Amino acid sequence: MTPSHTRVNPIGEIVNHKEIVVCAGSGGVGKTTTAAAIALQAALDGKKVAVLTIDPAKRLASSLGLKELTNEPSKVNKRKFSSASLEMKGELWALMLDTKTTFDEVVTRYAPSPEQAERILANRFYRNISSTLSGTQEYMAMEKLYELHAGGEFDIIVIDTPPTRNALDFLDAPRRLTDFFESRVLRWFLMPYMKAGSGIFRVANIAATTFLRVVKRIIGGDVLQDTAEFFSNLEGMYDGFKERAREVSALLQSAATSFVIVTSPGEDSVMEATFFAARLNEAGLPFGALIVNRVHPRFGDGVDVKPRQLAKLEKLGEHGQLLAKLIDNEEAFMRVVRLEEKNLNALARKIPRHRWVRVPYLEQEAIDFRGLSLIADKLFEA
Amino acid sequence: MQVDEFLDPKILIVSGKGGVGKTTVAAALALVAARHGRKVCMAEIDRKGTLPKLFGGGDVTYEPRELSPGVWGLSIIPEDALAEYLRVQYHMSRISRAFRSTHFVDYITTAAPGLKDILVLGKIWYLEQDEDHGGGAPGFDTIVVDAPAAGHMATFLKAPQGLADAVRVGPVRRQSEWLNDMLTDPKRSRVHLVTLAEEMPVTETLETSEALVKDLGIMQGAVFANAIYSRLLTDEEAEEFEKIAADGKIDELYDVAQTAGVKLDDDDLEALHGYAHFLKVRRGIQAPHLAKLRKGVTQPVIELPFLFSAGLALPDIETLADVIEERMESL
Repeated sequence: MTPSHTRVNPIGEIVNHKEIVVCAGSGGVGKTTTAAAIALQAALDGKKVAVLTIDPAKRLASSLGLKELTNEPSKVNKRKFSSASLEMKGELWALMLDTKTTFDEVVTRYAPSPEQAERILANRFYRNISSTLSGTQEYMAMEKLYELHAGGEFDIIVIDTPPTRNALDFLDAPRRLTDFFESRVLRWFLMPYMKAGSGIFRVANIAATTFLRVVKRIIGGDVLQDTAEFFSNLEGMYDGFKERAREVSALLQSAATSFVIVTSPGEDSVMEATFFAARLNEAGLPFGALIVNRVHPRFGDGVDVKPRQLAKLEKLGEHGQLLAKLIDNEEAFMRVVRLEEKNLNALARKIPRHRWVRVPYLEQEAIDFRGLSLIADKLFEA
Repeated sequence: MQVDEFLDPKILIVSGKGGVGKTTVAAALALVAARHGRKVCMAEIDRKGTLPKLFGGGDVTYEPRELSPGVWGLSIIPEDALAEYLRVQYHMSRISRAFRSTHFVDYITTAAPGLKDILVLGKIWYLEQDEDHGGGAPGFDTIVVDAPAAGHMATFLKAPQGLADAVRVGPVRRQSEWLNDMLTDPKRSRVHLVTLAEEMPVTETLETSEALVKDLGIMQGAVFANAIYSRLLTDEEAEEFEKIAADGKIDELYDVAQTAGVKLDDDDLEALHGYAHFLKVRRGIQAPHLAKLRKGVTQPVIELPFLFSAGLALPDIETLADVIEERMESL
């Protein structure tokens, strides 16, 4: 055992004690790369790890062995690690979420009969859901996560969250989707298209019919027919969906899970990270660590040069001009560094620094295992 | 190219992957247009909320509001667009309120994918036509659309064609043709793409650019390569500095500094070196992506500088607008 008086690295702590790591944050902050780096390190250290990614860069995907879209975990070949001079003690498995296939599996699972499942899968409205309805991808990511965890095959699962407009969206996704399936407004409007109809419903139908005439004109009658069919086929499956959504929520709230918020030091993503931390807290979801990516490095405390002196330097020959340019450059970067620090100080008032890990800009892109392991070194640094 | 020629189409659609600074570039374009005497409307789609932040607070709603002199902003929300459509088209203002009820727009846009996009484009069409319509918002000379992320771009712009194929007759058919005409007429609209010099955004930009030309026949404007580390210092200069240090001639620099009255200590020198090296490395990472971008697209690539800031504020957008204006003149 290492003595515990040194700072405990929050990421290391999570990887050692948790079964699920959810990486969340706004778009463009390096969520996917971070998830891959955490998974890689956990596997190198001897765990059997699955990394579930949503939308990886092509070169990262191919280094993970995900050239073809696959919704089932596949093991990354050991040779890939040795050729990057990494010693792999565990196993790294990777998969890329396929929203449509996952949804099909859900439908098949909850349908009372294979025939009913088939009717739903063939329905046009259903086929549109996975590609157009917002929240579906998030919901299916959680579903896939639950399934992987329940399978019990992996020591730890690291998941990257979809690039939503706003990082909070995916927390609401399961509820939004069950609401969507259950809304009574919808069934009221579709009543004329549904088979059965009691007396009370017929009264409601007069208003609904006027309304539907307009809708029909806009989107077409056959489309409405499809929609009505879809919802009538879905009857009796709601309880299954809801039950599962409850189980997923319970898993996310359990001690097995840890949320890692990924941010950059930019004002926008820092604000988003702050909101996100508050939302996790409200929802009773376990926050584990904050990863601050893409921080500009700080060298020194800033050179003290007045504009007048700079002007003078520029007149002092080649060396003077070179020095003036170097100073210009340094001042520009120090300006960014100070602004970033200001944003991060505000963040520190909401999330204590001992839960932070900073990852500075590295000298190469993380597109292969070599690059990922450099990031992992920073992530797990004590 | 003259700036006026660049701004000629009334509708400027700006798209790019999330996190590349799409809204910032759209705002800078709006400022450029405003500087050239145009009355500009900036349309954000589906409550993104970055637009008001850029212009210093206040909500942006479905009703256009002046954000800064000459620049107006509105947020196009599909629910509102549908309500407006029903009111104008079918005089159904009362019943259209029901459309705003939870999920209703979700249902019909899932039933007819593309309808959401049509509603948004329809609103843009209204804005474009507005000089002839009484009431409503005042007529705009330029409409800058902060469009959906590039991945969704082709679907977004293809929506009218899709609807025209699905609905063979009637008013909806006619209207979707109007929208398609609006998008494919280079005198009326132009699409600008924004990217970073990084792998994912460049790949997506190349794909979108190809789809726009091939599948849609839509006129493309420029590709803006955002946040390029500018040349405050060339690689050669950074190397020269490293050589001076390696040759043990650093004292010569101290001497020059002293002559100018600048006090430099070892830490300062290290900082100068650190940032010179950092700049070189970052540019080295960006360069191949930029090259790939230039090689892969036919339209002009306009490099926009990394702003050495860490937030979004009007002065930054003004700076970008300066650069855009300058680059457009030299195209």
